[in-house]
Amino acid sequence: MKRRRSIEDFEALQSRIMTDHDDAVPTIVIPAGTCCQASGANDLIRVAKRELLDKKLTDTVRLRITGCQGFCQMEPSVLVEPRGTFYPKVGMKTMARIVESVARDEILADELFITPDTGEQIERQEDIPFFRNQVRTILSRNEKIDPLFVYDYIINQGYSTLAKVFKMADPDWVINEVKVAGLRGRGGAGFPTGLKWEFLANQANGHGKFLVCNADEGDPGAYMDRSVIEGNPHGVIEGMIIGAYATGSTGGVIYVRNEYPLAIKHLIIALRQAREVGLLGENILGTGFSFDINLVKGAGAFVCGEETALIRSIEGKMGEPRQRPPFPVQKGIEGKPTAINNVETWANIPIIIEKGAHEFAKIGTENNSGTKIFSLVGKAKYTGLVEVPMGTTIKRIVYEIGGGPIDNARIKAVQTGGPSGGCIPAELFDIPVDYDSLSKAGSIMGSGGMIVMDDNTCMVDIAKYFMNFLKDESCGKCFTCRKGTQRMYEILDDISQGHGTLEQLQLLEELAHVVKDTTMCGLGQTASNPVLSTLRYFREEYLEHILEKHCSAVVCSGLYKAPCQHACPVEMDIPSYVALIRAGRLDDAYKVLIKTNPFPSVCGRVCDKKCEYKCSRAMLDGPVHIKYLKRFVTDNATRPMVEKVPVTRKEKIAVIGAGPSGMTAARDLALKGFHVTVFEAFEEAGGMLRWGIPDYRLPREILNVEIRDILAQGVELRCETKVGEDVSWDQIKEEFDAIYMAIGASSNMRLGVEGEDLKGVSGAIQFLRDVNLGQKLQVGKHVAVIGGGNSAIDAARSAVRLGAEKVSILYRRTRPEMPAQEEEILAAEEEGVKIQCLVSPIRFQGKNGHVQKIICQKMALGDFDASGRRKPVPSLGNYLTSDAHEVIVAIGQQLALPFPAQSRDVKVSKKGFIEIRAKARTRVSEELIFAGGDAVRGPDTVIGAIAAGRWAAKEIDAAIRKRNQEPAYMEMPGEEIEIPRVIDEQIREKSRASMHQTPVAERIKDFREVEMGFSQEVAMEEACRCLRCDISNEET
Amino acid sequence: MIDLIINGLSVSVEEGATLLEAARFLGFPIPTLCYMDGLSPYGACRLCVVEIGEGPRAKLVTACTYPAEEGLKVRTASSRVIKARKMILELHLASCPQSKTIQDLAAAHGVRQQRFRQEYEDCILCGLCVRMCEEQMMAKAIGFRGRGQNRSIGTPFDIQSDVCRLCGGCMYICPACQLRCTYTEPEKAVCGGCENLSPPCLEKEQFDDMMCFMDPCVACEIAKD
Repeated sequence: MKRRRSIEDFEALQSRIMTDHDDAVPTIVIPAGTCCQASGANDLIRVAKRELLDKKLTDTVRLRITGCQGFCQMEPSVLVEPRGTFYPKVGMKTMARIVESVARDEILADELFITPDTGEQIERQEDIPFFRNQVRTILSRNEKIDPLFVYDYIINQGYSTLAKVFKMADPDWVINEVKVAGLRGRGGAGFPTGLKWEFLANQANGHGKFLVCNADEGDPGAYMDRSVIEGNPHGVIEGMIIGAYATGSTGGVIYVRNEYPLAIKHLIIALRQAREVGLLGENILGTGFSFDINLVKGAGAFVCGEETALIRSIEGKMGEPRQRPPFPVQKGIEGKPTAINNVETWANIPIIIEKGAHEFAKIGTENNSGTKIFSLVGKAKYTGLVEVPMGTTIKRIVYEIGGGPIDNARIKAVQTGGPSGGCIPAELFDIPVDYDSLSKAGSIMGSGGMIVMDDNTCMVDIAKYFMNFLKDESCGKCFTCRKGTQRMYEILDDISQGHGTLEQLQLLEELAHVVKDTTMCGLGQTASNPVLSTLRYFREEYLEHILEKHCSAVVCSGLYKAPCQHACPVEMDIPSYVALIRAGRLDDAYKVLIKTNPFPSVCGRVCDKKCEYKCSRAMLDGPVHIKYLKRFVTDNATRPMVEKVPVTRKEKIAVIGAGPSGMTAARDLALKGFHVTVFEAFEEAGGMLRWGIPDYRLPREILNVEIRDILAQGVELRCETKVGEDVSWDQIKEEFDAIYMAIGASSNMRLGVEGEDLKGVSGAIQFLRDVNLGQKLQVGKHVAVIGGGNSAIDAARSAVRLGAEKVSILYRRTRPEMPAQEEEILAAEEEGVKIQCLVSPIRFQGKNGHVQKIICQKMALGDFDASGRRKPVPSLGNYLTSDAHEVIVAIGQQLALPFPAQSRDVKVSKKGFIEIRAKARTRVSEELIFAGGDAVRGPDTVIGAIAAGRWAAKEIDAAIRKRNQEPAYMEMPGEEIEIPRVIDEQIREKSRASMHQTPVAERIKDFREVEMGFSQEVAMEEACRCLRCDISNEET
Repeated sequence: MIDLIINGLSVSVEEGATLLEAARFLGFPIPTLCYMDGLSPYGACRLCVVEIGEGPRAKLVTACTYPAEEGLKVRTASSRVIKARKMILELHLASCPQSKTIQDLAAAHGVRQQRFRQEYEDCILCGLCVRMCEEQMMAKAIGFRGRGQNRSIGTPFDIQSDVCRLCGGCMYICPACQLRCTYTEPEKAVCGGCENLSPPCLEKEQFDDMMCFMDPCVACEIAKD
């Protein structure tokens, strides 16, 4: 390359290579940044080159190797220009096909990007939501440029803004442009860049001035600077030359961490090429202005990103900050004035000059102009580099660009700004991302890391993780940062291990404030942010860890034996009974089951299996079938004998409602020696288990056995005794020492639309009760079920069995959002139930007083709500009319207090359920009145009700003992069951067994049980899949 | 001269003076650990923090490094400063309780409890010895190593430095009082920082030659185990 000695000379070069370049030539673009290479881009490049040579296409098809384009989730990807076709996750074979298709000017339809929600294929990169919702002013340059060729950069207008600046010959104009553009430092603190430059320009220029590009990017999960340097090093260099010209700087330094070898390589090549062209060095383009850039490789200390530490590191000293003032702009490298800007800030400079300051200022919001690159990582569907205008809401970034949560999880927070930043809860996702709003919310912009967290993330653990990072990365110079981070980590560790106390929590908060206040540099001043922000928004998680020793995300392994057990509301000893199945000791396994759960055979059939979602095996080849193993035990083992427990206490306890919650509480209290009387309004015990769940899921005789056993332990049951009618509330209060209200939520919620009182329209509870009582023997020809929960599915499947010709479920959201269990929905569909989503009934039309037609409003997906789901909004003018001879409304249930609500005893919350006293789980009032189950939490799962019953028994017992000033209850040591501690040396991959079901044609005829249970063999194999987390946690 | 306001009093101090020098000259006490006349200020112990500025822009800075500025409003004992100081002392006490200097400071500032897990470290990394060695003894024999929780003071690779003249300056200046006691090699010990305490080491035979009077001498206790 010939060194250009004047601006005209350079422009001649520019126009020559631009005329030589033809945009229309089909080009295969393979991004090959560090992340792309890690996912296999190098193989693609090799294949592409070989194919191009083999097929002699080198003249007709061009190949361009570029930096990362940002869609890291879909790497290795290929982009074909000029069409803009985007191929995600390309394999080597596909690569060969792509080369061929490009030569023939075709598209490989089967390899295109597919939107998971709708299954729609998207061809062009810019139409993919991930790209479409971005404004990619910096990143879009990456795909146009091969970073190894300066000519590629020049073709894309590169260095033309520099020529423009040189022609203007007015450094003050440049500074003014940057000021007017309102560019703020992209490193995190957001100091106005123009102002910084002005300070530097005003410094005396006796001994030289320095410009520094800070590429010491050390935040965990942030890599935008790396991608910018790797993809477009000349952009940064051009920005620095312009900056140097504006401020009269004599020397430049790019400080890159040594962990970025590819960035360093590209920079070295780019700097050399810039020098060769004559854009760096003495007398640049004949303007008399001299400037050169050195590359300094940092050793990778996080603190060296802090400007004073960075300066010391450049000087060759130990990288530790010093107290400011004097600021680097006054005294920087070797005492000379120095301005330090982040990579992204430098990359923005050519864009400002090119667009013009006023144009640039229009992007983003006031005081926060331009775009910002975020590295969106964590629990979002699409991760990668995202460039958006400042002021874009978090919601938009996380849900529209990031695609929302993975699977059915709920996103609960994002962490911005890396270890120095804070967490922002989902409720605040409407705040715009800019420097001021984020700091108001207790976080910082930082360099742009954005970690998405869902309900599988424990906030205490997050704070602990960052504190661990900071305690290692604090330079240690100032005492409060060094010791403060260590002590905060120590307390957080205690809390996550279950040793934390409330005093420690207070100390943690106190310490965090002092550390924020008294440390020397930015690292220490922001080190408390992870703690303070999680405490601010997620204090209840800390309290849960401290008071209940429970981690609802099931992350803090110090608190539990095995994740499945911790996830279970009644903490069933899953690893133990699975081990016992494996050992063939089914009878012992049954004893383990019954210890914590009086309804194991019910739960083996209808549990919503929170345990399986947390099973460690899920990460390998699917979770262990814990629920079916439980059922296998109850189907095949001898049920442990029960006998009447002698009443040893004088207090008498009333339980209202003989559902799972009430019966569990009754059993637990009876075991503690109390005399318990259960009042049930209906003719038999069982509650929703009996009246809500149809026979084909839970055969009556199974339920009867479990209830019989509970009664056999000495619980007195009074059926057909409705409190408030057959016996008065005051009488019960008089007669009994404590009352547990497990009255359920047994009244149907109404739609509140016209025609709801027509004949043939009923609530799901009433319908299912009639079916289960055997009173409902036939249904209309067309049955419509409204709702998406488990009772909707139950009603629909029952209707199929009662001979309906057509059963449809109408749901106002989308299929993935249906709250019913996935396998239930699938089974219903198999049985011919049609699921119609995004419709909401607005009117029922009848004939002769009987329902005939439903008129539904069609819904469309609107904005995201706080739960991260798109809100269904009426799609105006779009209606759907369908025949319906029977309508079942299953949109929710309400509390039905069996007696006039007495505010004195029982308070009803805003949501319409019984309110629990603070710091209690079941206690309702000062008197010994307790409540639990659906009556408190709204329609919930069986296991939730059982857990409430267990808690109620514990709290009632404790309250009585406290009143009597007796010591706390000590459980009698029961029979010791030795648990085998066998683990497989090697884990073989084996997917989960499938449950044998009666064929559809067979099963829709009657109400016989559908699932057939595991055979001995299958159960054994399934039990062997257990990884025994309990052992690894305890013994290794 | 520079005019500024310290604790509500208008004062003037010479140009170039730090806030600590100004405050001490005027009689406002500010506790320090890592500061020593004659050595360059370092700002490590954070004990000398004072509050400057007003309203939401008020902040804590270390008095030892902050230069006096025209019109600056300084508060050396605001509630924010006191709170921070107490916490810093509590942290010091939690790490290095055996230091007489730290104990005295803690007592003087009313720190009555220490709520962290007790540690016994023999160095608070204040850097006085490093600066003493470099600036007064012109030796540069010792320096800092590592970062974060692995930071320590010593010579490169723990090899005795050629430039060390065993002058003892580092030991003389140490507020944690640990480097002075080299219990296993009595002839090298240059102790004396703990003279106002009873000498338990002397009752132990093997320490007959010792001149250490720490009570309890934690370094000795730890090394014995």
